[in-house]
Amino acid sequence: MSQCLIEFVDIHYTYPGSSQPALNGLNLCIPARKKTALIGQNGCGKTTLFLLANGLVKPQGGKVYYQGQPLVYNRRHLMELRQKVGLVFQNPEQQIVASTVEEDISYGLCNLGLPDKEITQRVEQALSEFRLTEFAGKPVHHLSLGQKKRVSLADVMVLQPELLLLDEPTAYLDQLYTRQLMTTLKKIDAAGTTILMATHDLNLVYRWADWIIVLDQGRLVLEGTPKDVFSQREILEELHLGVPLIFDLVSQVSEFLESESLATTPLLIERLRSLFL
Amino acid sequence: MSLQLDTLAYTNQLQKLPPEHKLVFALVVLIIALCTHPPVQLLIALWMSLWTVVYARIPLGIYLRIVYLAILFLITSLPALVINGVSLTDLALIKTDIWRGITIGNYYLYISYSGIHSSFTILTRSLATISCLYFVMLTVPFVEILAVMLRLGFPAILTELLLLMYRFIFILLTAASELWTAQQSRIGYRTWRVSMHSLSLLVGQLFRRTIEQYHQFSLGLAARGFNGEIRVVNSRRYQTSKRYAVEACVGCAVLIFFSFY
Repeated sequence: MSQCLIEFVDIHYTYPGSSQPALNGLNLCIPARKKTALIGQNGCGKTTLFLLANGLVKPQGGKVYYQGQPLVYNRRHLMELRQKVGLVFQNPEQQIVASTVEEDISYGLCNLGLPDKEITQRVEQALSEFRLTEFAGKPVHHLSLGQKKRVSLADVMVLQPELLLLDEPTAYLDQLYTRQLMTTLKKIDAAGTTILMATHDLNLVYRWADWIIVLDQGRLVLEGTPKDVFSQREILEELHLGVPLIFDLVSQVSEFLESESLATTPLLIERLRSLFL
Repeated sequence: MSLQLDTLAYTNQLQKLPPEHKLVFALVVLIIALCTHPPVQLLIALWMSLWTVVYARIPLGIYLRIVYLAILFLITSLPALVINGVSLTDLALIKTDIWRGITIGNYYLYISYSGIHSSFTILTRSLATISCLYFVMLTVPFVEILAVMLRLGFPAILTELLLLMYRFIFILLTAASELWTAQQSRIGYRTWRVSMHSLSLLVGQLFRRTIEQYHQFSLGLAARGFNGEIRVVNSRRYQTSKRYAVEACVGCAVLIFFSFY
């Protein structure tokens, strides 16, 4: 069991003006250097979790620990935290600050107080890594959604965080951009960054994640490897989450083969089950 | 329309020139335009239009449309300049100034020569100065103007406010047009009454969305380590052009010469 990079202990949080708590006694551990996926219905507390992880809101009950140390909510510690924990919002407009792409990427670095020369160099590097060099001088409101998402990811990655939080990164993206995003995430993971992605795309989760966390109504319901989590179909159906297509397919095929009682089936069924379920 | 103007500022042929050069050039010509007599002002208007339309390749249609807008304003103030009124007793005093006039009761309304003359000078001055302004507006991106202002020593808070306003104008325009499209697609503007109602809903929703977006934006800013100031680094990839610099200097010298002539 690897170390917890960030840990939430008995978190209670209610948005002001809301009657229902967004997070209701949440205990969660995000393992270090793994690709974790967070799934759950709309309104289960995913975005709130991210805001807590980045110190943007303070929980009304419970504590958040980063690398074993509790979060201190003063300016200096929060600055350090936000360099180590990079949050990419669902809507790129929310975090794009400056007017041109280049300036926007340099914004985070300027906040860290780095010298101009280093900033320019790191911006160049980020631009080439995320294939944004041709857009460098372009104003942000001239870009398409997919390009804006690339820019928002680049702004966060240029700070070299240890933990990357992605709030529904593939929402509204076409296949090409999704594939490009997954390639980029692979590189980021290879470089040693822990990634936590909140998403609704179960097939993506199955293909990509090492560890899955299922939230419902502000509480942790299930966690484990994709095989373990998706084999608990009844719980997932109850939560109206479902399973990836491939699970459905395999279980239907094996049920069919069993019911037809074909001679070679036991072995085939065993093999199928062991491969996917 | 404003998005189109903004796009032009980024995609014109003079975009690579350093913004300081363009701004200084426009400022110098503006000062000349304010100090000389009408023929030189007309020349300035033509010359700056040449820069804008021919050198920067701004589409003529768009340029003429915005010039037309400015002229329209001028025309609405024309009557006030040109038409004068005096009581009949003072008619003898202004006899030489009358071009055409009519008597209304105890007063005499007339079009004066001096009025015509002053409206003509105002027209030429306006044409000259707006051509300078449009040159800056259409060839220098707003972001670069802000960078120049910052370098000149304007307070950072001012430039940051202007930057945020610039960012938000486009977001606001997008939100407004989205709301308008949504209303249109649900027949929100069929009759006058319905239109007014839809418009009121639009304005209310726009306000609410603005507040919401502001809140989201401040979260985004905080998440990226906002520490009280918005500082960015711009790698200045500009190319000075000797040909344009020479033409600008020679042109200004010629204009100054003609002002004294």
